[in-house]
Amino acid sequence: MVATINNVANAIFDLLMAPLGHEWVAIDMLVWPCVMGVVALQVYKMVSNQAAIISVKRQISMHLLEIRLFRDDIMQVFKSLVQIVVKNFLYIAHNLTPMVVMLVPMVMVMVQMVSHYGYEPSKVGAVELLHVKLDSSAGVSTKDVSLSLPEGVSLDAPVVRTASGDVFWRLRAEQAGDHTLALKLGGRELVKQWAVGGDVRRVPVKRLRSWEALLYPGEAALPSDGPVVSIELASDVRALDYFPDGEGGILLWAMALSIVAGIALKDVFGVTF
Amino acid sequence: MIGTSVSHLRRSVVLLGVAMLLLASGTHAAPGDQSGMFIMGVDGMDPVILQRLIDEGKMPNFERLAEEGSFQSLGTANPPQSPVAWSNFVTGMNPGGHGIFDFMHRDKKNYAPLSSATKVSEEEVTALHVFGFVIPISGGDLENNRGGTPWWDYLHKKGVDVEVYRIPGNYPTPASEAKVLSGMGTTDLRGGFGTYTLYTDQLVERDKPKGDIQFVTVRDLDLDGTPDTVTSALKGPPDQLHLEPGQVPSDNQYINVGITVHLDSDSDTAVVDVAGEHVLIQEGEWSDWVELNFDMAPMGLMPVSGIVRFYAKELRPGFQLYASPVNISPTSPLAPITSPDDFVEDLHDGVGFFYTQGMPEDNDALKDGVFDEDDYIKQVRLVQDDTNEMLNLALDRFEPGDATFVYFSDIDLQCHMLWRHADPKQLDAPPHPAHDADVARGHELDIEGFYTDVDKALGHVRKRLPEGTTIMVMSDHGFQSYTRQLHLNAWLRERGYLVMKEGKRTGYTVTQDIDWSKTKAFGLGFNGLYLNVKGREAQGSLDPSEVDGVMAKLAEELEAYRDPKNGKRVVKKVFRATEAYSGPRVSEGPDLLVGYDKGYGASDESTLGEVTEETIADNTSRWSGNHLMDPSVVPGVLLMNRKLESDGHDLTDLAATILSHYGIATPSDMVGEAIQ
Repeated sequence: MVATINNVANAIFDLLMAPLGHEWVAIDMLVWPCVMGVVALQVYKMVSNQAAIISVKRQISMHLLEIRLFRDDIMQVFKSLVQIVVKNFLYIAHNLTPMVVMLVPMVMVMVQMVSHYGYEPSKVGAVELLHVKLDSSAGVSTKDVSLSLPEGVSLDAPVVRTASGDVFWRLRAEQAGDHTLALKLGGRELVKQWAVGGDVRRVPVKRLRSWEALLYPGEAALPSDGPVVSIELASDVRALDYFPDGEGGILLWAMALSIVAGIALKDVFGVTF
Repeated sequence: MIGTSVSHLRRSVVLLGVAMLLLASGTHAAPGDQSGMFIMGVDGMDPVILQRLIDEGKMPNFERLAEEGSFQSLGTANPPQSPVAWSNFVTGMNPGGHGIFDFMHRDKKNYAPLSSATKVSEEEVTALHVFGFVIPISGGDLENNRGGTPWWDYLHKKGVDVEVYRIPGNYPTPASEAKVLSGMGTTDLRGGFGTYTLYTDQLVERDKPKGDIQFVTVRDLDLDGTPDTVTSALKGPPDQLHLEPGQVPSDNQYINVGITVHLDSDSDTAVVDVAGEHVLIQEGEWSDWVELNFDMAPMGLMPVSGIVRFYAKELRPGFQLYASPVNISPTSPLAPITSPDDFVEDLHDGVGFFYTQGMPEDNDALKDGVFDEDDYIKQVRLVQDDTNEMLNLALDRFEPGDATFVYFSDIDLQCHMLWRHADPKQLDAPPHPAHDADVARGHELDIEGFYTDVDKALGHVRKRLPEGTTIMVMSDHGFQSYTRQLHLNAWLRERGYLVMKEGKRTGYTVTQDIDWSKTKAFGLGFNGLYLNVKGREAQGSLDPSEVDGVMAKLAEELEAYRDPKNGKRVVKKVFRATEAYSGPRVSEGPDLLVGYDKGYGASDESTLGEVTEETIADNTSRWSGNHLMDPSVVPGVLLMNRKLESDGHDLTDLAATILSHYGIATPSDMVGEAIQ
């Protein structure tokens, strides 16, 4: 399921994102949040009960007016305040479903933006840690895990196998390239990609077994019935010049710009919220 | 028509003339057109050692600089202590002006030692208590205690691009528009001058180690018969939200992060798991910097960022993992370590993480026996790497007309710690009391090595600087062997100046051990001697009319005192503060300054106000070279790539000299004079 969603999303966004290459970050950083804002408006319009929202907003306004008009009548002011609180909850309730529905496409776009722009390839000469976490209940030993290195990658220190089911290799990037690290565990073979040097491009970060693999579509999810919980290689956060760096920065930027776009265009699309 | 043209022509000629005059005068006034100045501040470089190494051909770049320009001894500060000396250099004042008299000052309220670097703002301290949290509202801010105006502020005001790298005594960092990175005196995240942590399953050599020793057990988590896992904690900043303003944190009042060390069963390799970061490290290896967040408030609302690096001293069969003091992270400093605040971002962008702690060479770990000589040298090399990267950055940023200062710490620290292996100044000196032939083997020339490293740095600087740049190399003081230590407070007790309470012979000035009603004088700090004057000290006993006589008698007796072991003079000269200093802050310091003779110095105990049983003893500490003596026995050096017309200068003259280079007259509050 996770793999299918990631494959579909990758197929779509690999076509649409970075139309001029990954160096042109500004295009996607400006266009996609605006698209998200517009899509969110449309979804909101379709899913929400616009009439009910308009009605509840009017009622809140009315109760605010009551407070101004009857400010000498303490009981009336109190009643109006209670009504405002109640109507606010009602307003939030009307928004919950559309919010949840909106969240799906928004998260998908943001995950793709992070995947394309959040990280940069390791530098030639970089030393990074490859971390494989095993499922302790799967009955496999860390000693059963082995790693084959491609040309251009070398081992920088002996492997460490922990008693808690983790295996660590310290690897050195000797040459540029998209390297494939091959792991063997019993009869299974798993791979992890390592982007080193070269042009700015999409960088694989980690492979996960859980639903969280949806957040890292750069590589295939791990088999859900396998003994490996995660395979992770430390990655460099990409500096994005005028935009905030890395995952957190991209998320905040995309969220903020999409909200601004939504507010700016709500009248154009005839949406009330 | 013709007349109009002539008039136009005449006016044009006049205007052109005026413009050329303005341009010509501007050639001298605009700072960008001055030749720049690059200053290398080499802490502890000694003129005698330098001259010997030049004579032996080991310092070719210094030799060239001396030949082309000047090399002379430079008078140090009184007392010749780094915070005092660098403050003299920075402000052009002596301690009477800038107010830094020693590493430590005394608290008039209770005779306790206080850091000289800071003063607490006088605003009343208030705090709000909410749900068990203490939220400071006002007051309690620490300010830099150094008075006067640093030379870089004058230069900046004049329009000179000035950058200062790791200047001692500048923390807490005063506000300034000039780009300055604070050096010696900058604390670690705990708020001290650097507390390392050792995770070990063995006993440490020293009784009262200065580091944080965490005794741990290596557990066998997977029950395969091989111990594999260590769990413990790493202390970060004090838990300020649970401390009253000004409260000194106890051992359990720091914010911790968990640390787990996973040992591989087949190799001497481990993974350190700290605050979610993984570091793979082999025995004998240093890790890179690891950035950690310490959560001051619940839910990560107030993260404080620090950086730490690990050293796997031993993984099997014994376990010893060293963690450096947690340094303030340059990515989001807890307190400003640069001025302006954002200069630190330029530094981090340029060199990545670096030691932000003021004295990064971990001599405490060596003193405690946690490091052996090789461990220590390895750690010092890491600091040198930082210094070299910082130097390269400074050179990258240097433009003609700029003023840049870069500080080099290694000679000072290594002379302190490694002198015992072989005296680099007096080559035929008898072995130091702390000399151990086995340990010394292979380390006899280490200090020379650090000198030649600075020579290489100078060569690099000379190659990279624009032509015409003025180069100044200076040191704050020189060095001497430190073989015997005087317990000054015990000496005062022996002569009746300091009186213990009934039944006591030893104790501390700060505890209830001393009979202040009968005590006339006490020692605190490395060279300070205070009189217990009525109306000034908390329990003063000495009438102000007696002060002069007591000072004269004390000076006479100290100067006459001879070491019972060898008959040598212990104190070369005792100085009266009122004679040695000038300026508005003279009264804040000690009354007398004890100028120890070559080989002698105040004991650590006496420095902290302790009264010991014995009066004088061999110095068997690894802290074996020193400069906390009479200023005349530990002068520094001054080298410039221009001929100097005179000699006999001291540190206070350098600020005026730098200003003079940029055409700025010596400010009236400076006591130094520009060197021509």
